[in-house]
Amino acid sequence: MIILDLLGMFTIAYITGFLYYGLYRNITARFQRRFGPPVWQSFFDSIKFFTKNDSTSHGWMFYLGPIIMMSGAIMTLFFIPFFSSGESFVGLSEYGNLFLVLYLLVLGPLGNALGVGTAGNPFGVMGVTRGLSRLFALEMPFYIAVIAIMSLSGSADIGTIASQQTGLNAIAYPLLFIGALFSFIGMMGQSPFDVVGAPVEVYSGPASEFSGKFLALLMSQSAIFTFAKLVLMVHLFLGGASSFAELLIKTFILFVFVIAFGSMYGRFKTPQSIDFLLKVPTLIAVVGLILATWS
Amino acid sequence: MDFSTFGLADIVLSLKATHLANFFAMLIAFSFVMVTFLSRNYKLTKSFYALFLLLSASLFLIVYANDYLLFFIGWEIMSISTYFLLSFSLSKEALHKYIIFAMTSALSIFIAILILYSGTHSFLYADAHRSFAALGDTEGVLFATFMLFGIFVKLGTIGFHYWLVDAYEESQNFFTPFLSAVLSKMGIYALIILTTQVIELSYTLAIIGVITSIIATFKAIQEDSVKRLLAYSSIAQLGYIVTILGVADGMSGALYHALIHTAVKLLLFINIAGIIFITGRGKFSELGGLIYKTPQSFVLLLVGIITLAGMPPLGGFASKFMIYTSLMDAKHLLILAAVMFSSASAFLYIYKLIYGVYLGHPTNKHLESIKEAPWSFLVPQYILALLVIILGTYPALVVPYFNKILQELSLHVVNFSDYATLSSSFAEYNGLVVMSAFGAIFVLVLLLFVSLRSRAKNVKDRFDIAYCGEEPNESTHLHYGFSMGKELKRVGFINTIYKNSVKPFYDYIADQTLSFSDIFKKIYSGNLRNNFSIAVIFATVLLWWSQR
Repeated sequence: MIILDLLGMFTIAYITGFLYYGLYRNITARFQRRFGPPVWQSFFDSIKFFTKNDSTSHGWMFYLGPIIMMSGAIMTLFFIPFFSSGESFVGLSEYGNLFLVLYLLVLGPLGNALGVGTAGNPFGVMGVTRGLSRLFALEMPFYIAVIAIMSLSGSADIGTIASQQTGLNAIAYPLLFIGALFSFIGMMGQSPFDVVGAPVEVYSGPASEFSGKFLALLMSQSAIFTFAKLVLMVHLFLGGASSFAELLIKTFILFVFVIAFGSMYGRFKTPQSIDFLLKVPTLIAVVGLILATWS
Repeated sequence: MDFSTFGLADIVLSLKATHLANFFAMLIAFSFVMVTFLSRNYKLTKSFYALFLLLSASLFLIVYANDYLLFFIGWEIMSISTYFLLSFSLSKEALHKYIIFAMTSALSIFIAILILYSGTHSFLYADAHRSFAALGDTEGVLFATFMLFGIFVKLGTIGFHYWLVDAYEESQNFFTPFLSAVLSKMGIYALIILTTQVIELSYTLAIIGVITSIIATFKAIQEDSVKRLLAYSSIAQLGYIVTILGVADGMSGALYHALIHTAVKLLLFINIAGIIFITGRGKFSELGGLIYKTPQSFVLLLVGIITLAGMPPLGGFASKFMIYTSLMDAKHLLILAAVMFSSASAFLYIYKLIYGVYLGHPTNKHLESIKEAPWSFLVPQYILALLVIILGTYPALVVPYFNKILQELSLHVVNFSDYATLSSSFAEYNGLVVMSAFGAIFVLVLLLFVSLRSRAKNVKDRFDIAYCGEEPNESTHLHYGFSMGKELKRVGFINTIYKNSVKPFYDYIADQTLSFSDIFKKIYSGNLRNNFSIAVIFATVLLWWSQR
């Protein structure tokens, strides 16, 4: 039974993730006054990459990097329930808690960083270095907001936090939500905090040495991971969901907001983004935490 | 032991085997065994071993002492035997730093003990709380200040860490694991005794601990020497323990983290000792690309850093979980945020540790003919790795034992249902499920991925990389990133951490002391007649004062 549940979660996240990725490419295309590719293009691309024969590998650690990343993404997905109550699509969430999920969110990228390091491609390591230098600043507002929410709900269980909201947490505690949203934009790899992958420039970033089936695996994990992060955010701030329709609508609204934000702003350099994140969103979140928990 | 025959009726020296003492004694004994594996690779003199045994004996004396006097005797023997052990390899400056700090620490603890003694005329831990209550306000504050100063110097809390980093870096590779894993724990033990038996320090400790861990983490990121990085990391990790000791129900988290930190620092320092042994280099800028030369060491270091980072599914997460939930429970939300901040910044130096040594490209030709470290380095690491893996799977394995300690200290016990479920009053998680889910998913993805029809070609040539259409060769600088974190200097508040150091402060103190001693030298000049007259005057004053 639990196996079916997990398989269901995986399939839904996989398909929805790729659908969202296709929509992302279309929406950003419209922002730039051009027509994007067909919605399922990325999905077909990943399938095609899986069958490519000429991918290069740099030894076993390189081989394991993307696999650890995929495992990390799937783990994150399984420890976040889809619905705020009910028996179906809960995954393994009853065995974990929000602290575990916060760590699982960084488990995959760090595992892949080992693969990137093994390849010995300086452009890959450049991306990892940027990502890690920025990581603590990026996570900070999110952590503060999550701590406040946990303390207010008196629970570290994601389902409980989602179902306990009378109004939406986002409206009840707007400052916390705004702070967390800045982090979330960065976690989704959107501008102005997208210096890690740095698309459009000379290819640098963690993915630069991966080709063929490795790239396909990275694309698939990105789809799953995106969906898992969206679901987490919906549970924490947008009142959770009780049906698929509600879940899809809420995640989609959040997703569109994030990519719209991303396509409007330019990119920060690493020190700039650290500076900004530690000043503005962190302070907003700290004020939010003090206002929300002052009693 | 009774001193009544000497007319000291109220001084009683005694040993007592409490559960807490047993726990720390176990850590000492375990680390001792792990470190001795290494000894066959180092040609150390007999006196070194004798001192090492004396040091270990003094540590047992510290933990089993039942009163502050015996504790102090153990502490003093520890400080001095460590000095002689360090003198085998330390430079003169580092050695001077160590002995000055160690003696100041011991002296300050002695003053604190005497102040406490003035309360009820008893050194016993059992009377300590009463003695403290009997002290006036000023004496109470003085006691706490002197005691904390002594402990913080031992722990290397930021501000007092000046001796620690140099001592760790320059000490024998055989001795460094023991220094970090055990000697620093004595500070933790003293702090536990202080907070449970004498006074509660709550916010003071929490704030000092958090500041220590943040600053030490950022200092660690900048270091080029592997052992210095680990030394700063050690300071940061102890900062977490100090923080959690300032929280009402934090004892279980502190004990858990002490256990994990002992295991992981032994593992990492032994691993690095192995690397220094086979390569003769200990700097990130001189290492690199060792992964396929020393695969076992790589995997063991990987286990170590996953634990150090507090990542699930290994044991490090269990202790981090206890720390976070205790802080959450005590509503120290901003301190919790700061601890998580420090914890997230630690990923940077943790990645640097594994990347700089094992990944990327070798930085010189010498590294291309390296063989795996000898088995005597690997065996203790395998044992330690197994320990953290078991603790990751069954995180509550140590909880029944901790509960005995907590009961003995009359603190709240931790909920315990089964070995796989670690629960605090705020949340719980199942280590077995996390471990087996991760394992199953990993194996499944791996099998599916390997069974794909498409094949990946394993390139043997390390220069065969996507390099913007250029072809790198021997002279291309490819080991990018061993100095990662340098750009953090451009961020205002982080640069404040890098710009400032305690060195000018201690230099100032040293200058002042020297000029003061110049005045003293004028009086006590070494001239025999002068010295004699000074002695006579001193004796006269003493006599007059005693007859007054």
